[in-house]
Amino acid sequence: MNYKIIDKRWYPVRQYVLFMLSFFLFSCEHPDLTVVVPNENLRPASDFIKNNYEMTLFSAALEKVGLASTLNEKGPYTVLVPTDAAFNELGIFRPSDFDKMNLDSLKKVIQYHILPRRMLLRDIPSNGVDVRYATLAGSELYASLGSVGPNGGTPTNELFFSGAKASRKDVILANGVLYVLDKMMKPQFDTSIQAWLAARPTYRVFVSGLKKFGLWDQLATNGPFTIFAPTNEALEEVGITEETLQTLSPEKYRADVLFGSYLIYDKHFFVSDAKVMGIIATTGGYTYQLKNNLHEMSFAAGEDYPSFILSYYLRLRADRTVTAPIIAQVSYGIRAKMDYLCRNGVVHDLNQGLVRPEQAIK
Amino acid sequence: MKNQRLTIYLALWLLCVSLFTSCNKVEYTAIAEPAYLRVFNNLNYVQTLGSKDDKVPYFCMLINPTFGAGGAITGAEIVGDFLDKRAAYAPPYPSHIGNSTTVDNPEYPGKENVLVGPILNGFDLSSWAQVPSGDLRIIFAYRPKNSIPFLELESHLKTDVLIDTVIHLASKEVYTLHLLQKDFVTKTHGLLLRQENFHKLPLSDSLVYVNFYNMSATGFLEADLTLKDDDYLLRSFKNGIKDEMNIFLSLYESQEKPFVQAQTVPGYKGKFLTRLTRNNTNAAVSPYVSFPLWASSKSNGIQTDIWQRFDFFIPGMDITNNPFFSGDIATGGNWASVNCLKNGKVSLEGSDNGTQLPNLLVNVHSGTHNPQTFATVNTLEVVNGRIYLTTIQRKYAPPVY
Repeated sequence: MNYKIIDKRWYPVRQYVLFMLSFFLFSCEHPDLTVVVPNENLRPASDFIKNNYEMTLFSAALEKVGLASTLNEKGPYTVLVPTDAAFNELGIFRPSDFDKMNLDSLKKVIQYHILPRRMLLRDIPSNGVDVRYATLAGSELYASLGSVGPNGGTPTNELFFSGAKASRKDVILANGVLYVLDKMMKPQFDTSIQAWLAARPTYRVFVSGLKKFGLWDQLATNGPFTIFAPTNEALEEVGITEETLQTLSPEKYRADVLFGSYLIYDKHFFVSDAKVMGIIATTGGYTYQLKNNLHEMSFAAGEDYPSFILSYYLRLRADRTVTAPIIAQVSYGIRAKMDYLCRNGVVHDLNQGLVRPEQAIK
Repeated sequence: MKNQRLTIYLALWLLCVSLFTSCNKVEYTAIAEPAYLRVFNNLNYVQTLGSKDDKVPYFCMLINPTFGAGGAITGAEIVGDFLDKRAAYAPPYPSHIGNSTTVDNPEYPGKENVLVGPILNGFDLSSWAQVPSGDLRIIFAYRPKNSIPFLELESHLKTDVLIDTVIHLASKEVYTLHLLQKDFVTKTHGLLLRQENFHKLPLSDSLVYVNFYNMSATGFLEADLTLKDDDYLLRSFKNGIKDEMNIFLSLYESQEKPFVQAQTVPGYKGKFLTRLTRNNTNAAVSPYVSFPLWASSKSNGIQTDIWQRFDFFIPGMDITNNPFFSGDIATGGNWASVNCLKNGKVSLEGSDNGTQLPNLLVNVHSGTHNPQTFATVNTLEVVNGRIYLTTIQRKYAPPVY
């Protein structure tokens, strides 16, 4: 069959085609499209820290131990940076103060503040407690993130690294991410609690007491322990000095009250754990019986008015009944001296004594 | 003629295409002689400061595992991963998967996508997994609480095995397997494999059946309260119950504004049901006791609003001579109670010491009735300071809209 195009029909078709072609004239514009380009102002970790007035001492420490150039490399890194205020609390005020320190120890502690990964807040498990992450120092740090309570709600996201609070989270860097810490993490690596206490003269009386009352040897075992270590002055307040210790005979006193009240067995508590658990389980305290199974001890922590510094509280009562007399009640808020992370537990400084010898007579 | 040829070509071409596209062979998984298995991890934990450094009983269950060089676990015939602590309610069909966003599995099969049991003598076994019958080597391995599958974990995390044993399952039988703490003091653990018999009993569909177990660990009741789970919802069960208890049933008329002194169904106020003895070694099935589905005169034979309260008393005590106040929680294991109503998340109004579980009755849209109430077969299990409800339902008529 043959078809023949009839002129009458052809005209409208041609008109239509021409009309359609006219669209090409309109569409031949080339506007400048804005394409999202990566932010070129993001700096690598080391440069960022160096250019931040709040982090001058950490930057100086990085220079000192030779990690400054490493942190400008590709990474990725997660850097936990204590502020200058945090260093000041440890008695470090200017870069030259690092010169007095053992370079290897300093390097290892600074390496402990650097993770060889890009770890954003969303990568840390919600309500995860003691989640361990490898650091450049070779050992692990403990991250705890208190997000939501048992009744749900908006996440609080209180984040702590080995007891130090992340006061600022998720600062994005060109080669990783940065968190600001309100204090230094204090890893003691392979040092046991026993060795740690023995090396510090400020706890000499406490150490003598532990030795005399048979509580010393266990502190070299695996534990874990949480120790609230009273200073010599603290023990003097409750009438315990090197001299008076000589006169006490161990069989007449309850060792687990007189010196055992400073020890929590089988627990590994950063002060911040009480805060994190307060979010997760609504109650963050821990109440337990001393080893003599009579006295009741409570441990709690909070950020209280007016300083809002995370402090811990200890309360010792004669027994667990409601009417039991309170033997001692202390609070401690010097955050620079908490959370010494030893191989077999955590040590916190304590500037008040708990028990007088006459309160622990058998 | 031309058109006809075109049609033939087109048909041939379509035939060729269909030959290449539709010839996928679907390989259906089948287990030749299956047994039906449901696994509960009765080891519990709470996240508090005091329990922070405790080992979390979070497991991977491996049936017939394979081992590589050096004894490392490399695979298994059946893997029940992310086996978390058991939920208070084990529903009659696997609803967990639609109700959560985590990988944590409160039972096996639970969220696992595996072959499940059929409708057996009218009972819906979709919460039971099909497993091969015969002797099975079963391993419960501790695993970290994260979302990485067990077999992809680093090798040093795959070595901590709690239980490694052999169980025997007979073909086409129904089993529940419990991972239990046997002794609270020595912290020994073990398995309890129970061969269920509900599908073999002549159970009426107008009676609600329930049986009871106390599988608590030796020494739990005697242990110090500070060593027990710090969970306020456990109420009077937190402390545990004594080894010999009598169980009394109260049926309440209405789930609206429930309280202990509310109106009960005549004849069902503290009605003695059975004696419960603690036993975590004997796997025998406890006898089922029952109450009528239509006990209440207010029900219309289609729907009823009754709910159940079970009081556990030591022998010699019942609701008439109960010396405790209604809100007493520290009863020394002499009295514990549980309220079964609504979805198990409801507290009673007023003073009460009962823990919470869902209603034993199932209300669903069936036929033209929405809802219609159905009788079920239930198991109440006391394990240490907790009580668990397992509900088994029949196959119901589909809804007509």
